[in-house]
Parts: sequence; C-alpha cells; structure tokens
Amino acid sequence: MISASGLTRRFGSRLVVDDVSFEVERSEILALLGPNGAGKTTTMRMLAGLIAPTSGSVKIDGVGLTRATGTLLRGRIGFLTESPGVWDRLTVRENLQIYSGLYGLAHADRAIDRTLALFEMTPQASTRTAELSKGTRQKVALARALLHEPRILLLDEPTSALDPEITRSFRALLDERRAAGCAILLSTHNLDEAERLADRVAVIDGRLLALDRPSVLRQRLRTGRVIVRVVGDPGAHLDVVRQFDREAAIEGDTIVLRLTEAERTTPALVSALTAANARIVEIRQEVPALEDVYLHLMDDR
Amino acid sequence: MMMRGWRALLRKEFLDLVRNRTVLLPVGVITIIALMLAFGITIVQPALTGQRLSEDSDLRRVSALVIADGNLSGDGRVQLFLFEQFLLLFLVIPITGAMALAAHAVVGEKQAGTLEPLLATPITTFELLVAKVLGALIPTFVISLIGLALYLAGIVIVAEPGVAGAMLSARTAVLILIVGPAVALVALQAAIVISSRVNDARTAQQFGAVIVIPLSALLVAQFMGAVWLSSTGLAWIGLGLFSFWLLLTLLSVALFERESILTRWR
Repeated sequence: MISASGLTRRFGSRLVVDDVSFEVERSEILALLGPNGAGKTTTMRMLAGLIAPTSGSVKIDGVGLTRATGTLLRGRIGFLTESPGVWDRLTVRENLQIYSGLYGLAHADRAIDRTLALFEMTPQASTRTAELSKGTRQKVALARALLHEPRILLLDEPTSALDPEITRSFRALLDERRAAGCAILLSTHNLDEAERLADRVAVIDGRLLALDRPSVLRQRLRTGRVIVRVVGDPGAHLDVVRQFDREAAIEGDTIVLRLTEAERTTPALVSALTAANARIVEIRQEVPALEDVYLHLMDDR
Repeated sequence: MMMRGWRALLRKEFLDLVRNRTVLLPVGVITIIALMLAFGITIVQPALTGQRLSEDSDLRRVSALVIADGNLSGDGRVQLFLFEQFLLLFLVIPITGAMALAAHAVVGEKQAGTLEPLLATPITTFELLVAKVLGALIPTFVISLIGLALYLAGIVIVAEPGVAGAMLSARTAVLILIVGPAVALVALQAAIVISSRVNDARTAQQFGAVIVIPLSALLVAQFMGAVWLSSTGLAWIGLGLFSFWLLLTLLSVALFERESILTRWR
C-alpha cells in the first residue's frame, strides 16, 4: 500500500504540487488525471523516491520514504517512466537482464522468460530495442517495471504510445496485477482508460480537485435531465411531460425535461405517458461522462 | 540486495561498448601513434639520419642526470631515458580515451531518457558512480596494456643491449600498476563529477579535457629533465592519488543530486 500525505513540492518559487493526499490500497487502481503541468509526473517521482517533497510524506507499506529508506523501498516499486528509457544498443533480453541484476533477482532467467511470455515478446527477445517500434519499446519498459513482481506499480502515461490491441492486453494485465494484490497508480490523459480501469480517480491540477470512484464523481454532476423517446411525433406528448416540468422541450426526436427527484418521479411520468397512449421507446436519466466531470472540475479551478 | 547493482550496470556499460566499438577506436589510434612516436624518435630517426642519439649534447646531459646505469652504452642510456619518457604516454592514453566515455556517463543516460528508470531501482549513487568509472576505465586500460606489451616487446627486439632489462624495473612497475590506474581513476572520477553537474555531454567533455593538462605538464617536465621521480616517490604519489580518488568518489556521491539531474536538466 502507498500513501501520500500533504505532498507539496516547490521548484524555486513555483508551486507544482500543493498539499496532495491520497492512498492506494492493495488490489486497487487509482488513476491520476490532470492537464499538462498539473504535477502528475512530479507526484509520481515523489512517490517513487526520486525527488523529495518540499513538505508532506510518502509511506510505502507503512514505512516512511526517506533518503535512508529509499534504496530498500525502491525495490518494492515498479515505476514506468514517461518515456520508455530502454537501452537502445541492448537487446530486449539484455535490458531485462541488467534490470534483474539491479533488482538483485535470485532467479533472473526464470523471471525474464516469464515476463517475456507475459508480454508476448519471446520472439523479440534477441532484438535490439533500437529496432523496435515505439509501442513495443513501451512494452519492454512495462515488462521492466513488472520484472521483479512489485507490490506497488507507478505508471506514468502507460498507454500513450500503445496501439489499441496492445492497450487492451495491457489493461487485462493491470486487471490481473490488481487481482494479485498490487496497488497501482497510473497517470493518464485518457479519461476513457481511467473510467475503464480505475477503482478511483484523483483529479489534480497542482492541488487535489477530486478523489472518488468514477461513478460517484459522475453522480456529482448529475443535471437531473431526463430524456424521453417515444414512437412517432414527440410533440404529441409534450403537454403530458410538462405536467412534470413546465420547461420540458423537444430536442431532436426526444423530449428533454428536468426532474429534481428523478428516482421518485420517473415512474409517475411513465404511467402518465402510458395513459396518454404514448409508446415509450426509452426513458433515461442523463449521466455525465467522466470527461464532463473532468472538464467541469477544470472550469471550476 | 546491496552492492549488486554496480555489477549489473557495469555489464551494461560493457555490452554498450561492444555494440559501439568505434567509441574505442580513438584509444587504439592514440596507442598506435604513441608506439610509432616512441620507436620513430628513438630508433628509426637516428637510423635514417645516421646521427647517433648520444651525439646530441642535450640528450646526453639530461639522460646522464637521471640514468645512473653504468653498464649501458651512451646510446643505450639515451634510449632508456627516452623510452622511460614515452612510458608516461601509456599512462595518459587510457585517460584521454576513457575521458570521453566518463564525460558522457551520466549526462548521456539523462539525454537518452534511461537515467530515470535506472534511478528508480535500488541502485545507490555510490554503486552507480563506481560502475560508470570502471566501465570507462577497464576497456581503455586493457587497450593501453596491450599497447604497453607491444612497446616492451619492441624494446626487447630493437633497443640497445641492456635497455629492456633496465626498463623492467621497480619504477616501471610502480608507474604502470599503481600510478597509471590511480591517475586514471582520479581523472575519470573528476569527469564523472563534471558529467553529473552539467547538462550537456559536450560541456562535460570539454571540462574533462582540462584534466589532461597537468599530466601533459608532467610529461614535458620529465622530458626536460626538470622532474625525475624515483620508484619510492612514484609509489607515494600513487598512494596519494588513490586516497584522493577515494575522497573524490565520496565528493561525487555528495554532489550527485538525483533531483536536479531529473528535474532541471532539459
């Protein structure tokens, strides 16, 4: 488990990360969302023990991350940096061999073979990484981060260079790591990815703007808008709907209204429409996408 | 887990060099030039011009000042003096070659984007710096030793009788086995310090070149007969240099700021 408490980082007079606190539990994926320059990478680096916070603290499995404990604790973390950072003149296997030595793995060859198989890279094991595509290099970097089977994974923009097929297998891999008990923090611009993968989402822009499950965040932005689609002309049933909201209006082939207590009022609306011989195709509450929530939070900064 | 990382990183350095052998080409070229220079001046030039080395009054005077071996002929004494001088070149060769590698060591990793994942492992700064110094020193030192073997073999074959025997002295051994590696370590450690403080490999290399200046000065001073160090004197210098290297290593660990390297370098 990894926890950040009041993390603050200044570079000179520039405040990059301001009092950010969160925890990532075992078997949890937390997505760190934020615009460019929001402090995501700086936060990741502080959590990986690469830079020290100006104030605040990081704990890994309950142990404070300090200069003294850094060497030991870094061994428990798998960190995927923003760029793959693989050694170009070395083969895929050699890259992994060096890192297995750096992590002091006892059964390095076994771990490397397992990781290569996991990423379906065994055929490319003897290829120099300079000859690989950007996406495959990113895969090598991911393999490197997972080589020592860390309990904590910090992934900075992990799928930014991956094609959809590899992205899908990568997501499956993260699911598997989560099931195996890993605490995973991933920073991303990809809201769809955050929504699909993350148990919780932290939106930051220097400071923490929101931290919750995606469904809860979406709930916050509920507008109360209800969309009604019927067979035939929707205008024929507008009067019935206006009994519930005098401002109800036609939008395209639907009727849109606002209900302050949609859960309680919607059954009555259905009954009224049915009584008026409306053939209902659908009635649904408008649920904002995570993107809407994100943009709303950014607008409110 | 402690103290394993440097071996892994050293292996990476060697693999990198094996795949990029042209980096070592200048060291080989300098070694060949040093061999040609030594034998050209000491053996070929007198043979071509017909002028014996002992006929040069300056050489006769300087060599008499520093070479006390009464069993050598006049020419043999001057040859020994010159061959002893050129021996110093073989101390400088690994440094000049390795300097480029050492200067590139940290800043090169940073520019390639490979430093951050490396620093995210449990490797300590000390291990990282040791691996970088040895990674630069060992290959160039091996080339230099090969050159030295050829040099001594050449002396055995072409020099005046007794010169080769006189060369195989305690002074030569101290020079090759103690002073040479110690000077190289100091120079390379200094280059690593510079490499971890600047944000551009070219700057590091230019600063690194400055380190060769005192060695060149020593070379010239020896040629002029102004400095002649005995084996004991050289051993003390070697010891001093090793101590200085240890201090420099500690200094380089203290000066290696992971944070600024990662956050301020662009």
